[in-house]
Amino acid sequence: MKRIFVDYKKCLACKACETACAVRHHPSGTLIGALGDRKTEIDVRVLSIEHESFPLACRHCDPADCLSACPSGALGRDAETGAVLIDPTRCKACAMCAMVCTFDAISFKATHRSPFGREVAHKCDLCLLRTKDGGIPACVEACHSGALVYAEYDATRSKRATKSLRTYLLGEEGVPPLVELYRELRRKEFARRRGSEE
Amino acid sequence: MKIVTAGTGMAAAEFVEQLRLGGFDGEIVMVGDEDYPPYSPCVIPFYLAGEPLDTVFWKGKDFYEKYRVTARLGEPVVQVDPDRHMIRTADGKTEDYDRLFFATGSNSWYPRPEWLGTEGVFGFKTLSDMVAIDRYIKEEQATAAVVFGGGFIGVDAALSLQARGLRVSLVHRNTRLLSQMTDEDGGQFATSRLAKKTGMDIRLRTKVEEIIQADGRLSAVRLTDGQEIATPLLILAVGVTPNSAPLRGDDKGICSNEQMLADPCIYTAGDVAITRHAVDGAPSVYANYPNAMRQARVAARHLLHGDGSYSGSINTTVLRKHIDFPVISAGSFNGEPVTWQQGDVWRRVYLVDGMINGYITIGDTRLSGYLYQHYVDRTRVDGTIRKIISSPRHDGQYREMLGFAAA
Repeated sequence: MKRIFVDYKKCLACKACETACAVRHHPSGTLIGALGDRKTEIDVRVLSIEHESFPLACRHCDPADCLSACPSGALGRDAETGAVLIDPTRCKACAMCAMVCTFDAISFKATHRSPFGREVAHKCDLCLLRTKDGGIPACVEACHSGALVYAEYDATRSKRATKSLRTYLLGEEGVPPLVELYRELRRKEFARRRGSEE
Repeated sequence: MKIVTAGTGMAAAEFVEQLRLGGFDGEIVMVGDEDYPPYSPCVIPFYLAGEPLDTVFWKGKDFYEKYRVTARLGEPVVQVDPDRHMIRTADGKTEDYDRLFFATGSNSWYPRPEWLGTEGVFGFKTLSDMVAIDRYIKEEQATAAVVFGGGFIGVDAALSLQARGLRVSLVHRNTRLLSQMTDEDGGQFATSRLAKKTGMDIRLRTKVEEIIQADGRLSAVRLTDGQEIATPLLILAVGVTPNSAPLRGDDKGICSNEQMLADPCIYTAGDVAITRHAVDGAPSVYANYPNAMRQARVAARHLLHGDGSYSGSINTTVLRKHIDFPVISAGSFNGEPVTWQQGDVWRRVYLVDGMINGYITIGDTRLSGYLYQHYVDRTRVDGTIRKIISSPRHDGQYREMLGFAAA
């Protein structure tokens, strides 16, 4: 089973993932359609904290607390991919799922998929319509810096575990030189802003 | 082996589904007083607000056929005879069992049961209540309602009726709404914001003392502070009691062990079951959906495989219905309080021994999952929690993770 992995040190906060997600989930499928539409659904958000930034979305946990908390039958797991999905026709936006989500990955909004014109819960659906046909999620496709990777869950997890041990022992970061330079500039810029505030 | 469930609620439906998914092939009979497939009580107020009835049947309208269940509906279970392995319904019919799943839920508690004899006075608990209220509003073309009781169910009722377009007066005896799921400060905050956001007429520190009829129909209610409110519709949502009388003769709830067994052949679960709290161990009825699900799954697993045990209940609650203003809480509200507020968002965490003993978060769902996980996992948070909840951009947990102090 494949999942979206985040390498936050490579994130440049360009928000291409947010844009691609909005376009992908908009009925028009176009940027022009999604722009300025209050029903546009964005299921990933780039969190910027000082000079660091990273995209945040549903991790499709297993077991998933949200799934066991939903009292309306709206949350379910896709048998083939293991993705946790929301059925907007059943969702009542009661927030039982959001209440237990550690990642704050579930938001509420009247989207184009809301059947009754009111808010529903929305979150990442792993772009199932694309991925089931062999494609990759829109956010991953849009990510230019390699911060988002769509890969096999188990293999990537173990590879990353050894990689972080190597980073710990040898100080290797594995971040491309240009990205490292960008991070350095961002760090300095944020330090400069903090300095001028004081 | 023949399985009988007393009740057709969420716990019973989950239990039956787990049995069938787990390969149980024997006879299953479900007995309940309402003539419906299993429905979600959390969802039924949305039917009253105007959404289709079908969405309340959260495991499907064809539940009984799908899981090969014999449904005996229309009469409540009034007596269980554990010695003879038999239940009796109100109309005198009996059903014998090898294993009984006793999940009869709770009943509305009425301060003056005789009020229900007046047209226009309803409880707010069951799908039958909702259908009756819906029909009455349509027939009378009611445009106003009084809801008596400002706890979870009362506020839920008031918000649903308002979403339908009725003018709602909410009468509550306490100093604040949602008094069980909040502390004084949090409740006051939630009450004032809800009043402002909904424009609802909220009357606190008073009760409905008398109902006034005209031609056998409700025309007004009189409050203990002497005021009268003209209304064709009164909703009573003052409290609920466990429906444990058929098994133990009173409404104190059903005690169970870690396998959810109340008796060697009787499992129990849901709003009628007394369980231990996962954090502080106190035995009580912890009526919420996730607890009921876990209890039903423990019972089903024990019946199928003879193992597994219940790890205890968590009293989490969230009220967020028809309005983008969540009120979330869990645990108990004593210990050292740490509070943060900004605009319409208010958070408070109670610390005992450096761990979260209870929390309330109002106006925003973010950080509630973080608090929930750390509350359940019993992690020490006293060094960081103040910074984490004092988070103007609601990203305190990530800020902390990356090693930044809160801005």
